[in-house]
Amino acid sequence: MEPVDFASFAVNTGIRGGAEDVAATCIREDGKMIRFSNNKVTVNQAWHSSILNIMVAVRKRVAIGSVEDLSGGSIKKSIEYLLKTARITPPKRDYVKLPKGPFKYNVTQRLPPSPEGSNMIKYVEDAIESALSKGAERVAGTFLYRKVETGIATSAGASGYDNLSSLEISVRAFSDEESSGHANSCARNEKDFHPAQAGEEAADIAIRAAGPVQGEAGVYDVVLGPNVFANLVNDVVNAASAFNVDAGLSFMVNKLGERIASRSLTIIDDGTLSDGLNSRAFDDEGVPTRRTIIVDRGILKSYLHNSSTAKKYRCSTTGNAGWIVPQPWNIIVEAGRLSEERILQELDDGLYVTNNWYTRFQDYRRGDFSTVCRDGLFRVKDGEIVQSLKGLRISGNLPKILRNIVALSSERRWVKWWEVDTPTLTPHILVRDVPFTRSTK
Amino acid sequence: MESLLEFALNYAGRLGSTYAEVRCRRDVSNTITMKNGEVQFSGFLREFGVGVRLIVNGALGFASTNMLNRKNIIDILSSASSMANASTSSKPVRFSNEKMATDKWEVKQKVKFDSVSVKDKVELLSDIDKIFRSKCDVKFPSRLFILNETLTEQIFMNSEGAVVRSKVPRISFSYILTAYTPGKGTAQRFNKKGESRGWEAVTSWNLDRLASEEAEILGRILTEGKKPPRGEFDIILGSEVVGIICHESCGHPFEADRILGREAAAAGESFVNMSMLGEMIGSERVTIVDDPTIPNSYGYYLYDDEGVRASRRELIKRGIINTFLHNRETAAVMGVKSNGAARSVSYSREPIIRMSNTYMERGEYSFEELVESIREGVYIKSFMEWNIDDRRFNQRYVGLEAYRIRNGKVTNPIRNPILEITTPSLFMSVDAVGRELSFSAATCGKGDPMQGAPVWTGGPEVRLRNVRLGGS
Repeated sequence: MEPVDFASFAVNTGIRGGAEDVAATCIREDGKMIRFSNNKVTVNQAWHSSILNIMVAVRKRVAIGSVEDLSGGSIKKSIEYLLKTARITPPKRDYVKLPKGPFKYNVTQRLPPSPEGSNMIKYVEDAIESALSKGAERVAGTFLYRKVETGIATSAGASGYDNLSSLEISVRAFSDEESSGHANSCARNEKDFHPAQAGEEAADIAIRAAGPVQGEAGVYDVVLGPNVFANLVNDVVNAASAFNVDAGLSFMVNKLGERIASRSLTIIDDGTLSDGLNSRAFDDEGVPTRRTIIVDRGILKSYLHNSSTAKKYRCSTTGNAGWIVPQPWNIIVEAGRLSEERILQELDDGLYVTNNWYTRFQDYRRGDFSTVCRDGLFRVKDGEIVQSLKGLRISGNLPKILRNIVALSSERRWVKWWEVDTPTLTPHILVRDVPFTRSTK
Repeated sequence: MESLLEFALNYAGRLGSTYAEVRCRRDVSNTITMKNGEVQFSGFLREFGVGVRLIVNGALGFASTNMLNRKNIIDILSSASSMANASTSSKPVRFSNEKMATDKWEVKQKVKFDSVSVKDKVELLSDIDKIFRSKCDVKFPSRLFILNETLTEQIFMNSEGAVVRSKVPRISFSYILTAYTPGKGTAQRFNKKGESRGWEAVTSWNLDRLASEEAEILGRILTEGKKPPRGEFDIILGSEVVGIICHESCGHPFEADRILGREAAAAGESFVNMSMLGEMIGSERVTIVDDPTIPNSYGYYLYDDEGVRASRRELIKRGIINTFLHNRETAAVMGVKSNGAARSVSYSREPIIRMSNTYMERGEYSFEELVESIREGVYIKSFMEWNIDDRRFNQRYVGLEAYRIRNGKVTNPIRNPILEITTPSLFMSVDAVGRELSFSAATCGKGDPMQGAPVWTGGPEVRLRNVRLGGS
């Protein structure tokens, strides 16, 4: 049976059992991952799985389940359990019936053949060798190949299938114990996949980062590289999910139509991109995905919605269901006008942050947070890198950082790695007055 | 199922593996999520599958499937084997020699999860929600509660004769609260309770009382909290803060796979290296333990996912670096025995080195004794924001519930005091340790693909001398 057949079977079983609304997605995934460190492969991993996600609603009472055993008996048993659970769950006031289909989906993506195991190892070897040839001492990273097929059916008449495959490599090169650089390449096909280039870029940063000195706390003008801004923009877009707005876990509460960022910033969510690593023709309610402008030249234009949150906020769904929490697909930050080289030259005296990790919020509603600088961190004077630094963290306020953006580069990179969940296309950005702190002892 | 696992082990041998293991695991998880007094959904997750791990020509391969028949098992074994074959290295993977277990262990539920109806569980959450809604002096505009129960059953077998069967129930209650008072802004609190027990754990948590205390404390922080002082002070850290410090600044950097660089690309490395065993890293008051065998703890297990018996390990002993957390691979590299720290969170994830329940050993002081000698100081009881660099050297903890200490007495609340300090300085600054030990539940993230493992973090209250507060 195909994924859509399992989804349809679940929907029909649910309706026969007395559900008023049923939606089901069946996701079949093949993944292959090669992890490497100290210039050699440490482990090969492969997984092959199918999962059926089911939502049933009975008189606005919602139950959701995920089951991996796709036998008919198991699906029927799961539906019975969900119906029983839904009937004793209190009603959800803002629940609305599933959007009425059928819908027409634009499925243009087709699965390219999976690379052979030896080709995958070759990608890893290329990344390692190119980093070593640039002068790195050690190289670590992760290569990932994924193939995902999704079928959907809903009791409101939606039915569809989509598929996607992607290649990702994340490379971290070390020039000494404390100096490293990080780069990645991710693409929908082998033609656009450049592991050797990622290895070179990581090594370039690592070599420049050699011999770092402790950075001083202070307020700096900064250039944030794509890795850093992708990480922060993921938090911005999560704050735009209507569920998080409603839960108070967002600095965007009651800010629709207001300026929340500098005029130079436009952020878009797009589920339809042909080169997006997380594109899909439909969301979990069967609604065709679309391009949604979240921030338009600094103005908050839209939250991300499913049909229930849309009803609450008196607007239309944006095709981002999540049955409970609306989710982004691919995040796009519009490009600026300056070249990457030029944007660094705009810094008279400041810092260039190439990567970060461990972003944590003190208060999601205010947007107070800190994040630790990682890999290459540089002091820049008169547009030139003059010193490698270590030991600093950005300790600031996210809305303030967005308001203080003054320029974006014209070149953009796709970023997706351990610290960036949603694939993000972003430029380098220049921000004024960002506070940095360090350990005091 | 066991015949399928035996088939897998035999087939792995035919593929030329020098080591093979299979884990069949079933996770049955139920969740209720309530937001602002309204149930968002009741839901379940049923995971059931097999993970295999092989060493072929000195290379390690892992593969998994949830389609449980011989054809798929052959497919995943062939996949793991062929990928491993393609990446053979001049430094072959070796495992330490260990006594392999044949055993069965189980945590019994006194009150089974399914003996309590969904309706009663929803009522419990509604009652907690009412406590926050009934507060007059402070508003709670957003309240998110997540109640999760998971029953995990596993059979582990390997080519060296290990056969371990286990069954563990885990239950947790997580909450995120936003408190608001006009003119005073907001304060947010995240916390989690969790144990390896049946529903009786929830009863023992006394959630009504917990909610009342949280509401009271957040209200006080908002209405009475003053700006924190800056400068050098004596600081008392509460159990919750000590727990996260033990986890982040001792547990993680003592994971031998980090020390050897295996996690360098994502979770990072360690400022600790092999040659530092025996070096002093903290004051003599500091002993930090990781112990998976604490009954009913959230990170409880008796055998790890390599078939090695779990044991209590003293990571820092009276200030000295004493031992690291090992699996069989790192133990072989460092020439020691595994101390049973290999865990996987799913049939579809490889076992890697994880903490279990990491805490600072108790000392001799009462809380009053810790405070009485402080003329000017700060007490940081809980935290919200925290982070640490990927070598686990520079860390930051921002206090949530915190107070000034003046002349040996805890006085007014202060808001968001910041402790930003290096790991050795922090541990060296400990001059007294309290005698009351308590734990918090957490989910620890590591690995690629990400694995969120249940852990406890804990400790007594501790006193730091002459530490700069307020960042710099």
